[in-house]
Amino acid sequence: MNIRRIIKKTILITICLTVGLYTTLFAKKEIRIGVLYDYTGPLAGAGGVAGSDGTQIAIDMINERGGVEGYTIVPVKGDAQSKPDIAISEAERLINVENVDMLIGFYSSAQCVPVSAKVDSMKKFMWMTICISSAVFKDRDLKYAFRPQVHSDQFGQTAPEFLSYYAQERFGKSPQDLRIAIIHEDGPYGSGVAGSNEAAANKKGMNVVLKEGYSATAPDLSSMVTKLKRARPDVILHTGYNPDITLFLRQAREQGLRYKALIGHGAGYSDIDKLMGTFGEGVNFTFNVDPVAGQLLDSASLAPGVGDLTKEMLRRYRALREVEEVRSHVSMGFNHTWILLNDVLPQAISKYGGYDAEALRKAALDLDIPEGGTIQGYGVKFFPPGHQMAGQNMRSSPVIMQYVGGKTKIAWPKSIQTIDPVLPLPKGHPYAVR
Amino acid sequence: MIFDIFLVEAIINGILFGGVLALLALGLNLVFGVVDVVWICYAELVMVGMYSIYWGNNHFGLPLVICVVIAIFAVALLGFLIHFLVIRPILGTPPINQLLVTGGLLFFMQSLATLLFTGDFRNLGLHLPVLELAEMYISFSRLIAFVTALLAMVALYMFLKRTYLGAAIRAISQDREVVVLMGVNPQRVYLVASALGGGLAGLGAALLILQYDVHPLIGISFGPITFMICVLGGLGNMIGGFIAAFVMSQLISLGGFFLETEWGYVIAFVFFIIMMFIRPQGLFGNRS
Repeated sequence: MNIRRIIKKTILITICLTVGLYTTLFAKKEIRIGVLYDYTGPLAGAGGVAGSDGTQIAIDMINERGGVEGYTIVPVKGDAQSKPDIAISEAERLINVENVDMLIGFYSSAQCVPVSAKVDSMKKFMWMTICISSAVFKDRDLKYAFRPQVHSDQFGQTAPEFLSYYAQERFGKSPQDLRIAIIHEDGPYGSGVAGSNEAAANKKGMNVVLKEGYSATAPDLSSMVTKLKRARPDVILHTGYNPDITLFLRQAREQGLRYKALIGHGAGYSDIDKLMGTFGEGVNFTFNVDPVAGQLLDSASLAPGVGDLTKEMLRRYRALREVEEVRSHVSMGFNHTWILLNDVLPQAISKYGGYDAEALRKAALDLDIPEGGTIQGYGVKFFPPGHQMAGQNMRSSPVIMQYVGGKTKIAWPKSIQTIDPVLPLPKGHPYAVR
Repeated sequence: MIFDIFLVEAIINGILFGGVLALLALGLNLVFGVVDVVWICYAELVMVGMYSIYWGNNHFGLPLVICVVIAIFAVALLGFLIHFLVIRPILGTPPINQLLVTGGLLFFMQSLATLLFTGDFRNLGLHLPVLELAEMYISFSRLIAFVTALLAMVALYMFLKRTYLGAAIRAISQDREVVVLMGVNPQRVYLVASALGGGLAGLGAALLILQYDVHPLIGISFGPITFMICVLGGLGNMIGGFIAAFVMSQLISLGGFFLETEWGYVIAFVFFIIMMFIRPQGLFGNRS
């Protein structure tokens, strides 16, 4: 009886040990990453889905190359549904229920501001790919939140610099005589960019004739258009999402608003295919401030191999979606995910012994990619702890693109221009000053 | 005090915007006045109508007028079905249940639209002409909406005044118990009113798609304000709702003109809250 029991126990222990050993030796090594974008709601079409496509392409490419230090990257998707409260609850679900090791993504600044505080307090690592509001980092001393993306202060400064350079040559006016109107949606994104627009315009001594915010879901913007008509701006600087951008452009056309240039700031202005489909010639020569779409850069100006990455991203995206112009949100999603998986994560594992928030944080702070080292041209170096913008990339920079005949060209900075900017709007344009 | 041509333009724009809101409020008020149930999901019916027109015109190449007619009938049928399948079984339950059910229907319709059509913004790509008077430009699409709202109001008034069914609808909105003794079948009237309310949502959709992109959450822009207009005018009071639409639109337009765009909405909503304290039954509602 005793012998039988001993044999039984021996067999049981042997089985357990074998299973345990097998699991340890041959278990699939995985890193679960929570990917949080707006897959539904108004922000999905405004760039949320395009950004998530870019992220997915980067993950696929990394996995096809053998993963990160032998780990396969497993994306676990969460849908923020274009709502900050849902973004918070989805971030919590991904961390607490799905047990993801880190969070990546985020299209909307209105989501990034509260989610980053929440995730940071949970001591989890958060990597933001698209949202731009400077308020995400400014004076908040976040420890585990990082963003290689451009921030809204830079967004807002670019257009006044550009206008200041061309004021005399193209408008026949000094920058101080240039009449500027600033309109924006009233969330952190629009308010952040508009505030920076105004500060930069004031610094250049420009004449800001109107600055006004509105809700992105407002059903009517006609009173704002009327005021713009009365203010007679030469240039309108607009920051919005969708559908407010199309509502503004439609009502502006119906109410006979005229201007010499319209400069948008990302979001809905990035989707040139859709804008052309809606307004045709009306959006020709519109400018858009955004991080550059990778395909617009000359690959010779980038580090070796970076141009090939862009080509592969484009090939895969075009196989996924039927589009003419690949919007910059795809580049943002791809590029920033690629930096995390190709540069930060391997360093965290090999140098700091894992991929917990602390190891990732140290690896992120070590990161030092020079100019030309990413598909969007800029380098990556994060502001260190203690800095007002700790966690924000100090080397990122936006460009100004111009839509000409349905194609996207780089109009600013001059060093990488692919077009001599068309300024002011030519006669005959639906919005041109008569 | 600013008084210039732009102020006149702001007033005219307010009136035209009021036309859009009045038309939306008309259908919601009709349903509430008769069935005594608030369709929180009313703006989502408009969204369905807008998608019908978009798909009919853009994908099946049907003429716009035919699409509009189809949308009106399709949304009328939807209104009929909502009453028949969702409202009728809970008619005798407390009002909060009815609110929750139509609220649930709102999220159901938004989510279904997202699944079917994705979150993309779609429009017909139409550019209607603009009337130019002095330095003022008046949107033709808004003018059409305004005139249509007026015509719809008159047509509905005539229907309610001149037809047997209209009389039955009015009677049932006045006393739903006594009217049974007069030989009126309330269930039938409820169905007709729901279909009519749906048809008006379809008509609203036809006018909105000339001015707005359609997407699954378009109802967020119009649902709350339409509901507030109905309450302000006196729930169920169609003339009250019609006038309240213009009061609200003028507050939004002029508030936005004199102050900031956002202030227009703030003033309109503060006015609404104050009126709820002073006249909880609405501007033209009966205290009961």
